[in-house]
Amino acid sequence: MSVRTPGGAGSDRGHGRSERAAGAAPAFDIGDSVREFAGPRGDYYARAFRRIQSKAGLAATFNRAAALFGPVWAAARGLWGLFWCFAILELLALVQLSKGLFSELGAAPLARAARLEKNYEKMVDRVQAALEKGDQAGADSFSLKAERLHAALEKALTQADEAAAGATGLVIFGLIALAAVKGLEGWVANLSCEKRYSRWRTDRTMRAGFSWTGAALGAVFAALVYPLTLYGFAATEPVALIGTFPADTSHYQALAGSIDRGFDRAADELAFFFQGIARGIRILLDGLEVIFVETPWPVVMTVIVVAAWRLAGPRVAIFTVAALAYVAVLGFWEKAMSTVALLGTASFLCVAIGIPLGVWFARSERAYAVARPVLDLMQTLPAFVYLIPIIAFFGTGKPPGILASMMFGLPPIVRLTALGLREVPKEVIEAARAFGATGRQILVGVEIPLAAPSIMTGVNQTILMCLSLVVIAALIDAKGLGYDVLEALQYAAKGQGILAGFAILFCAIVIDRMVQGGFRRE
Amino acid sequence: MNDIVIELEGVWKIFGERAGEAMAAVKAEGLAKSEVLERFGAVVGIADVSFNVRRGEIFCIMGLSGSGKSTLVRHLNRLIEPTAGVIKLLGQDVMSLAESELRAMRAQKIGMVFQHMALLPHRSVRDNVAYPLEIRGEPKGRRWDVSQHTLSLVGLDGFEDRFPRELSGGMQQRVGLARALASDPDVLLMDEPFSALDPLIRRQLQNQFMALSEQLHKTTLFITHDLDEAIRLGTRIAIMKDGRIVQIGTPEEIVTDPADDYVRDFVQDISKLKLVFAHTIMEPLESYRAAAGEAKDLSESPRAPEDSDLDRLVDVSITTPHPIVITGAGGRDVGVVTKDRLLRGIQGGK
Repeated sequence: MSVRTPGGAGSDRGHGRSERAAGAAPAFDIGDSVREFAGPRGDYYARAFRRIQSKAGLAATFNRAAALFGPVWAAARGLWGLFWCFAILELLALVQLSKGLFSELGAAPLARAARLEKNYEKMVDRVQAALEKGDQAGADSFSLKAERLHAALEKALTQADEAAAGATGLVIFGLIALAAVKGLEGWVANLSCEKRYSRWRTDRTMRAGFSWTGAALGAVFAALVYPLTLYGFAATEPVALIGTFPADTSHYQALAGSIDRGFDRAADELAFFFQGIARGIRILLDGLEVIFVETPWPVVMTVIVVAAWRLAGPRVAIFTVAALAYVAVLGFWEKAMSTVALLGTASFLCVAIGIPLGVWFARSERAYAVARPVLDLMQTLPAFVYLIPIIAFFGTGKPPGILASMMFGLPPIVRLTALGLREVPKEVIEAARAFGATGRQILVGVEIPLAAPSIMTGVNQTILMCLSLVVIAALIDAKGLGYDVLEALQYAAKGQGILAGFAILFCAIVIDRMVQGGFRRE
Repeated sequence: MNDIVIELEGVWKIFGERAGEAMAAVKAEGLAKSEVLERFGAVVGIADVSFNVRRGEIFCIMGLSGSGKSTLVRHLNRLIEPTAGVIKLLGQDVMSLAESELRAMRAQKIGMVFQHMALLPHRSVRDNVAYPLEIRGEPKGRRWDVSQHTLSLVGLDGFEDRFPRELSGGMQQRVGLARALASDPDVLLMDEPFSALDPLIRRQLQNQFMALSEQLHKTTLFITHDLDEAIRLGTRIAIMKDGRIVQIGTPEEIVTDPADDYVRDFVQDISKLKLVFAHTIMEPLESYRAAAGEAKDLSESPRAPEDSDLDRLVDVSITTPHPIVITGAGGRDVGVVTKDRLLRGIQGGK
């Protein structure tokens, strides 16, 4: 065997195939496949691609057709991403050009100059009139004003001149930009075509070759978009229709009205249902409030610190002491505890509902497919938007506040439970089945323990999500620390807002550390 | 004595949404695998498999990946449902069992060992071994007794309170074996149990398994892709290809008389020394005398019993210039092995 040299592949020009050194790879001929890929002008593309592939960096080739036709060329070659890039760049250049050529850039200062000239002439008349009356003082004051008007007039005229001169600048700039864009198009065209070709080799279903339909479609697009855009920018006063969408406000009012009526009727007819939910939440919340708010503070504080120590170690315990001291000394204790009760109720409900849902979604692909967009919606919808139906059905107060928090807190636990269960190795489940385990035994003894890290991450995220909604829940009278922040916002009370904000932050950190510590111990 | 523990009769498995239609068509028209795929978009996993396994046998099913061997073994405890055919375990028709009966059978009659161990990572070695008993609802004391006992059987004393991840691959698989033995099942299903281990450990575990097998006499269905392993362990071997069984036989039968080129290819490189016995390669005494003449004197020839393997015959042969006389039942001379025959026998009977 001969020793392979790094430059072996390219260093054998002029030798016949048979004379090649054993170490040099023979040139790989892509010509035929490029011709198949490119259709018309195959030979040109074969040469261009060969050149691009022979360079390690970006090769300089120029595609004249692409430079000339720009987006239409890209459309014909099926490169629609490139089509939009080209169209936008060309439009940017053309807008400058058309502004310079067609719009009257000096129009505004010229109009002002005309107005000023009229006033100036009036003023000159008054000076004349005053002189004729023999009112020397009046004439002086009028002529002073006339002089000022004249100066302003001069200024407006120079501005108009400058703007007109600017137009020439714009034309030149537009021309240069257009040339640059065209150059860019010619250069980028072959590069992206080559990329497409490389992908096409592995996926023959991809669009390749030259398509007249594509070209026509691209041309139609361009014919629609270009003139309209250029007109919109260049015309001094374009038709109103182009500037703003002709919306009909009566539709909006009718729709909003019918939604109002729908909500009202649903709230009336299903009142018992919504009240039932609210009452259930209320019971849970009352229980937690007894524990956190009504128990004497030294007891609660001790229990929290000891729990922090047991769950997450001495460092978190020390931090907890400091955080609780901050909250208590600044008089946030009761509010903080009612926030924690609120949060506890919301998180508990989220977990109690979310884990079974997650288990279901892990089992049923179809159910998950339906639920996924709903979960997405719950997380992306701005909180204020779903406060509206909640107020409509549940009124204001703490239970609706908890419901609002749950909207936000439910998706992570559902998602992560489903994810965790799906990732349990199939072999382990099969083994459990092989030893005669029932579905319930597998779920409790195998799947949930193995998915626990994921589920616990979900619980943690759910708790923090619920906490983040505490301030917003205060909007609908859920009280707690969030109310202080809200109040501070309304009255621009900086000090109060920052202090209450820190109290929320400390609560969040303590809860997060404790929960995470608890999971790690498991 | 040799009662049948596992009985498979015409078992088919066809995967795909139109498996039923495909099955009917296969039965009616005898379609080939590729035709089934083309017409019904269904994949034939197991095609018309029948065999019996006797009590105490180690029955090896050997085949390459995709031959359907792992699919087949999962039919025994209905982890996979067959499309057609009869499966009997301990005389009980597995297909007729209700869900709860099936679970009881899995828990009490069958132990299974998996290629990738499939241990429960969150449980200690002890609790892993005791898992089948826990499913059956045995009290903790009994679970601990049994797991202690089975762990000592596989030589893992002192590792009870470790977690599986703290053990090496070989030890993990021994835990898997202990778990399968924990419920003292009648049948062991072993799905490539040693394939994921490195060769030295594999050999070690094979030896341990053989020793254990002598001791416990479990009827075992052993899946492997390694013919050497099958020959070492198997009482009988079934060779699978494309979902069908190509040949069933003792290791000697497989090695000396491969059913077709496919099996022959496998067998080619297997050493025959320990597998082939005198009675297979000897020339019967009568035909030897007929060829060599009655006068041929065999009195100075050494004698060897007919169940001597080739290795033994080589040892005998190098001590003498004479052919070896093979003796049968009661020490009677039954055949002759000349040096030529012996060498051919080692080559594989060309």
